[in-house]
Amino acid sequence: MTELLRANVLANFAFYRRSRLLLAFMLVFLVLTALISLPPLFINSGVQSFNSLHEIFSTLNGFLLFLAGGLGLFIISSHLRNRSLKMVFTKPCSPALWLTSAFLSAVAVSFLLHCIVLGGAAALSLGWHLPVRGGLVFVSMDTFLASVGIIAYMMLLTTVVHPAIAVTFALIFNADLFYEFQRWTMAMIRSGNSSTALHALEKLFHYLYLLLPMVYAFGKKTEGIHNSLRVARRLEICTVFGCLRHGAFGVLLLRSPVRIAEEKAHLSFDVEQFWLGQGVVDHAARSVEDAGQYDFSFRRCSHFQRSDVLHQVLLYR
Amino acid sequence: MIIADNVNVHFRRGLLRKQVRALTGLSLEVREGDFFALVGQNGAGKSTAMYCFLGLLKPNSGKVQVLGRTPDLGSPLYEGVAYLPEEPHYHLYLTVEEATRYYASLYGKSIPTKSVDQALERLGMAEFKTLPLSKCSKGMKQKVGIAQCLIHETRLLFLDEPTRGLDPLMVREFRETLRDIHQRGATIVMNSHVLSEIEMLANRVAIIERGKVIVQDELRNLLTLDQELYSVAFEGNGVVPDYLTSIERLGNLVKGSIPKEKLYDFMDYTRISGLHVHECSLKKISLEDSFFKIIKGGGAPA
Repeated sequence: MTELLRANVLANFAFYRRSRLLLAFMLVFLVLTALISLPPLFINSGVQSFNSLHEIFSTLNGFLLFLAGGLGLFIISSHLRNRSLKMVFTKPCSPALWLTSAFLSAVAVSFLLHCIVLGGAAALSLGWHLPVRGGLVFVSMDTFLASVGIIAYMMLLTTVVHPAIAVTFALIFNADLFYEFQRWTMAMIRSGNSSTALHALEKLFHYLYLLLPMVYAFGKKTEGIHNSLRVARRLEICTVFGCLRHGAFGVLLLRSPVRIAEEKAHLSFDVEQFWLGQGVVDHAARSVEDAGQYDFSFRRCSHFQRSDVLHQVLLYR
Repeated sequence: MIIADNVNVHFRRGLLRKQVRALTGLSLEVREGDFFALVGQNGAGKSTAMYCFLGLLKPNSGKVQVLGRTPDLGSPLYEGVAYLPEEPHYHLYLTVEEATRYYASLYGKSIPTKSVDQALERLGMAEFKTLPLSKCSKGMKQKVGIAQCLIHETRLLFLDEPTRGLDPLMVREFRETLRDIHQRGATIVMNSHVLSEIEMLANRVAIIERGKVIVQDELRNLLTLDQELYSVAFEGNGVVPDYLTSIERLGNLVKGSIPKEKLYDFMDYTRISGLHVHECSLKKISLEDSFFKIIKGGGAPA
């Protein structure tokens, strides 16, 4: 069993190493990142340097999330397309074992790339005379564990349908879409339309939302760390455990009852904020107040912490 | 070694999901030590039958047993089984050495570099060790597939059209390697269109027609001597006797068949005309002759 896993993982590493498509994909992103990192070389402002570091780090992490999908997708689709698996399954190597090895290989490659990006970000911090923040490690771990979920999801989809359909499905029919649909149906119900079909739709969207994996399971809770790259020392261990729990969900493509309860709580709160207008001012004020604790302002978020509710408030004003 | 009993396989294809019956009550038996050949026209069901033996396809009905067990992908049953697909559907991103090691490692044992080197050396592939499979010829890829059988003591080897697309030199090399593997005790099941190839290698043959085995016999029983006809070859002078049939001319040389009762007439004809006789022997029935007779006649030859 160990020998089989080892043999398959080594072969899969060779696949990733020699996949021109993946290499080209990585090259494009590296060039883009290099272009982004050029201006700060000529600026001496610490704020600008931090902004650039944040930009580069989040761009690369975003890229690694996309790449994670590619790692999961290509390894399955490529082997299915060239039918080489016949040579594997007609030996004492079961499809489940091969799939496990493919998953482990993709996860290992993703982990390596995250380590490189983290190392690069740390090196940039030192090079630009910025403190190396614990948030870098947290964000890397968070993104890596999100990548694990994406790899698993893309592998699952690619084994079932054509890769093009898998990509389309993953991009369009994701948890966020059904979350929005559910909010919409709930709002309709609350505004007085209580037809059976609408209730059925609301339930359908809810269960689809629960069924489909999401990139960041604790997006709202970790948003601050992603933006400030700061983690309170006492909370570091807790966040690591949080990440691991999140990752475990990603792997299993399931959510725990705790998570479901959390999501439900968020959902009802957001609906209340959005449709009834109660507490919006309080929430926005709280966000601005929170943002005041940050050292730097961020380009995207102007003066306050990003918040879905706040964004929606701004959009609908 | 392999028992197939009344195996039925059907697929649904196209938009209308039209049913295609690939195997219709296929029954055959491969014994230990056989070099067994599956012969048939295109679409007869040879590859489908092989996929059933390998567990790549589950029959809709009927029973398949390989080494006493129902084939189930990746099960321990495959510890003594090797398979070379029709098209070299190998891991093209691996080099010759990596692929050989990989395929051999899939039997669950650590493979010493020495064993890989020896197998490649024996197949004349040592100098191409670092060449990616994507840049190898079909023959070279087939040799990589064969290398796994040399590293492990394969008990049962499945070959799907192994010599298709190979040059004559490669075919000969391949044939010698297969003979060697067979002599070392492996049972070989081969699909092929090349009947002359089967004649040289196999000891038992099953002829498949429309998903069903219509003849399964020892090869020697299919390659009998025809007691009624003589094959003759002689230097002709333009005129040939009227009892000579199946005439072929190669320059001055005339080849054909004569009935047994006309043998002495033919001798007199060549002696009187002063013709040089190259060949005169009882006519052999080749596998090709038997195959066509069976396919056209719908049964075993007399």
